[in-house]
Amino acid sequence: MAVIPGMTELTAPYWEAAREKRLVVQECLSCRRQWHPPLPRCPHCHAAGPGWRQVSGDGTIYTYTVVRHPTHYAFAGKVPYILAIVELAEGPRLVTAITGAAPEEIRGGQPVRAVFREVADGVTLPYFELARDQGGNHGTA
Amino acid sequence: MTRRQVAIVGIGQTAYGKALPGTAWDLALEAILGALADAGLEPADVDGICRFAPPFEPVSEPQLVRALGLPELRFFAESPLGGEALGAVLAHAAAAVTAGLASTVVVYRALSQSRGGRFGRADGRGPGSAGVPDPGADVVVPEEDNRSFAWPYGLMSPGQLFALWARRYAIVHGLTDEDLTRALGSIAITQRAYARANPNAMMRDRNMDWDDYRGARMISEPLRLFDLCLENDGACAYVVTSAGRARRLRDDPVYVLSATQTLSPYREPMGIYVTGELLELFPPATAERLFAEAGVGRADIDVAEFYDATSYMPLRSLESYGFVPDGQAWRYVTETGTGPGSPLPVNTHGGHLSEAYLHGMNGVLEAVRQLRGTACNQVPGAEVALVGAPAGSAMILAR
Repeated sequence: MAVIPGMTELTAPYWEAAREKRLVVQECLSCRRQWHPPLPRCPHCHAAGPGWRQVSGDGTIYTYTVVRHPTHYAFAGKVPYILAIVELAEGPRLVTAITGAAPEEIRGGQPVRAVFREVADGVTLPYFELARDQGGNHGTA
Repeated sequence: MTRRQVAIVGIGQTAYGKALPGTAWDLALEAILGALADAGLEPADVDGICRFAPPFEPVSEPQLVRALGLPELRFFAESPLGGEALGAVLAHAAAAVTAGLASTVVVYRALSQSRGGRFGRADGRGPGSAGVPDPGADVVVPEEDNRSFAWPYGLMSPGQLFALWARRYAIVHGLTDEDLTRALGSIAITQRAYARANPNAMMRDRNMDWDDYRGARMISEPLRLFDLCLENDGACAYVVTSAGRARRLRDDPVYVLSATQTLSPYREPMGIYVTGELLELFPPATAERLFAEAGVGRADIDVAEFYDATSYMPLRSLESYGFVPDGQAWRYVTETGTGPGSPLPVNTHGGHLSEAYLHGMNGVLEAVRQLRGTACNQVPGAEVALVGAPAGSAMILAR
């Protein structure tokens, strides 16, 4: 049992890319700015029909919290878990969770890298792990 | 725009408790009738209602019109987004009165978490809930309000979100865990002490010292149990009318100097905050507007009631509303403090942490009592009060 994202016409490309282990954000085909989560139009120049751009998967921890008390039965067996907002190297931020690290290891500003986990049949979520070998440089995903 | 043109002329409330007899409808009626009696008005005088929008407020205008036998409601308006409605409902009520759309407007908030979903649970579990139909099935999160980009990771409840805010504050300003604990604990302990003198406070009999605070379990780091608000049943209401009518009704009306609502990208309460600086709860221009319209400065505010779903919010509200420079409130609350005799007493009723949680409405009632001179923890000579939510929805009131 998992908590999985409902998909709409607007959001499905994000989750379909994740299933292929690719992290994507929306990009305006006119002014080339990027943002996340998806919107019907570019919020800057208001061009319709935004495209999708694969990003490196590199980022840094913008903020985080170690959840020790579950507020939903689906997470009862999963505490503690580390929620984070990650700032991607390309700029946009996203809500995610940090895997493969102990709560004491996490600091603001730490470099992280996207990893992909299948959480239910056909549903893959992007998570992040500490980029232990990169010292803050942005490598390839 | 609204400066001293309208006034709060009556306040009413129920008892607050974990599980009160009666539905939210019952509680709303008790609070509203109390507010009308306090104002010396009859239900038949009411021709306007402003309220928090569903799903937050469960009691509807038709329920009130029927149950109170109101002959005709000629103005009613709803404000969305939970705590963002706190100043908005008053702004709407004041605008309606000054525009002549209504003469007597009731504002209310009723809550029965024991019979509905608890705000601290994301799955609706708890007393009175329908339970979980199939605990083995996947939970599909609707896209609404970007929740589908947060819930799958377990970011589901206000306490978790505000833990992300508090941690960001520590990161940006270079606080150690101990610095942050002392700051948040100072707020929680100060508010508990206020609650101990407030017979309406749910925590009136529960002393809390530093050992109690530090010893409580972590919920979502850095927030411990006592950094989070109470979950309860209860209702609050107040009555807004023109200043002239208010003076005929009572000697001590509480005037509205200003009221704000504000919304900017990714700053809606419980949003996912993916652009801008997370510490900026609302545009600085909002606070400037609040004070400019009121015609008062920070030094004129005698008491503040800050919306506190968690202890972090009064901390950051001191900065966001301009009382303490950015990045200094953590020191301010530990060294100067917000208790009795401090330059700016905050949450003198105990707040959501220790009186009860009513979406900020109990803070409005406390501000009114302070300005009438009838509060349990009375700030001597209080003349001007600020009530503010972290989302920038706020009001300045004066006697």
